[in-house]
Amino acid sequence: MNLTQRIPSEGLDLRQREILLGWSMVLPAVLIILALILYPIVYNIYLSFFDVQPLAENTYIGLENHKNVVLDPGFWNALVTTVIYVVFTTLGTTLMGLFVALVMNQKFPLRGLVRSLILFPYIAPVISVVFAWQFIFDPVNGIFMDITYEKLGLFSSRFNLIGSPATAVWVAIAFSIWKNFPFSYLMILSRLQAIDLNLYEAAEMDGASAWQKFRYITLPEVYFVMGAIVLLRMIWNFNKFEEVYLLTENVRVLSVYTYFKAFVGTMELGQGASLALIQFLLLIGFILFYIKRVLKW
Amino acid sequence: MVTKRSLPRKIGFFVLVMAIVAFSIFPFIQMLSISLKYPSEWGSPSLIPENFNIEAYKELLNIGQTAKNVPQSVLTLLEETPDLSEAQRQAILDKYRSSGDVFPFLKYFLNSFLLSFTAAFITVVFAILGAYSFSRLRFPGRSFIQRGVLFVYMFGGILLLIPLYKMFVGIGWLSIPPGAFLSLLVIYIVQTLPVSLYMLGNYFRTIPFSIEEAALIEGASRFGTVWRIIIPLSFAAIVTVFIYCFMIAWNEYLFASVFLKNFKELYTLPMGLKALFTSKNAIWDRIMAASVLTATPVIVLFMAFQRNLAGGLAAGGVKE
Repeated sequence: MNLTQRIPSEGLDLRQREILLGWSMVLPAVLIILALILYPIVYNIYLSFFDVQPLAENTYIGLENHKNVVLDPGFWNALVTTVIYVVFTTLGTTLMGLFVALVMNQKFPLRGLVRSLILFPYIAPVISVVFAWQFIFDPVNGIFMDITYEKLGLFSSRFNLIGSPATAVWVAIAFSIWKNFPFSYLMILSRLQAIDLNLYEAAEMDGASAWQKFRYITLPEVYFVMGAIVLLRMIWNFNKFEEVYLLTENVRVLSVYTYFKAFVGTMELGQGASLALIQFLLLIGFILFYIKRVLKW
Repeated sequence: MVTKRSLPRKIGFFVLVMAIVAFSIFPFIQMLSISLKYPSEWGSPSLIPENFNIEAYKELLNIGQTAKNVPQSVLTLLEETPDLSEAQRQAILDKYRSSGDVFPFLKYFLNSFLLSFTAAFITVVFAILGAYSFSRLRFPGRSFIQRGVLFVYMFGGILLLIPLYKMFVGIGWLSIPPGAFLSLLVIYIVQTLPVSLYMLGNYFRTIPFSIEEAALIEGASRFGTVWRIIIPLSFAAIVTVFIYCFMIAWNEYLFASVFLKNFKELYTLPMGLKALFTSKNAIWDRIMAASVLTATPVIVLFMAFQRNLAGGLAAGGVKE
């Protein structure tokens, strides 16, 4: 198969032409990513050593920003909140996804409709669903207080669950689980559908119980996809901003904390850059640890 | 797992499915319900309004609002000066129509649409070229680029916000409206590019090379095969990727909130909705109606292309 004869070569052989073409096709994408993702990451490190003003020149201040960040108890609070948020949302989303996938893997009438309805939380814009959630927990009109206070009498008075940071973080966690479980559900379901049904039949003949079938057939099959989901969810939820900030400004996870530092009030952009750098390093450290220890790649 | 179930187990299973569905869509029903209720009914837990109130929707879509915000003094003035032409009258009324009190839903909708559509379009063009390149052609650096794409797709949002803000302020784009709009467009392109490259690359690998080879032997150029073979064959996948990009841009709030802060006329829907909520016009029925209107295009789009999109999601092609 000699294509060179048919294609005008312009002094280049086929292999060189392929290299040239390959690079020229991928170049626009590479340049955009270099300029607007990789360069900013590096530039952010640079900025974290400067006193950064929105419109004026930067002044070099060494480790001042990093020092201010680390000495601020607000940062440590944000870090603790972030860890709580990430751990519970990841666990909740993955387990809920597994549970729903097991249910949706059964045959039942209207399954197609049900399957698309339960994707709604995942596809709807965050901004369009946060207000419905706020309304549910609204102290005066919300259905949550109506049930827990009026009907069940669990609390001594109506109060705003989203109002204080201590309780709002749990609402934010519930919201994230609700919003993102369809993602884990879809990934796990597509893995479940690939399991050979003969395995279950063989197990049934050997008299295995439903639990044993789940424990020794289903679980090992979905183990890796669940490992991948946990990794992705941890990364995403660690950086999550909108799902927290738009629901309640009371929950200061790291990204919300950074946003307030850098863009609200005195605009401490330098400290914001330092926070973003710390968050970036924590993330990289975590990913490396997780891939080595949990996924054992 | 196809097993015969007894009746009580069937009922239990049915209840379970209903519970999952209720959990998923309850907030949507709640917002639809409140958007249609009169304030007196907000406290009632019933989801079906006793009397339907569509005032909020009419207000947001600017239907029949002409005379509503016009002060009485102006109306009297108009009545007392019959020699004004019809156009002049309309001009005076229009001033009050857009007095800023009402949430200009259609304007925000158009801003969001223009931004998301353009960003998704440009992303898809670059992604087709890039993905074709590293899934089909052999050149040094190919696997590095492929892995790099996966790597950058992990970072985004808050980690890049400050340097990007400083960069765009530095070149002066954030002080004028077209510049702010363009910088946001560029950011949406780069936010959606890695995942598009990844998804399309995976898809192109499933197209047998022999089809392309035949065309190449017939004398078609590489660009010719991309245009006449790869694009038609992967059209469904391309549409899927386009819709993903569109949805990501449509839903974005973080960058919009920083870049468009000073340009109210450029607000996207998420920006406008958040501003409405913190303004003095924050009334539940209005907020819920705006929420319903913001969610609707995305949900309609999703339902229309459901099969492809759910498959794409399961293939791991997602970005948050």
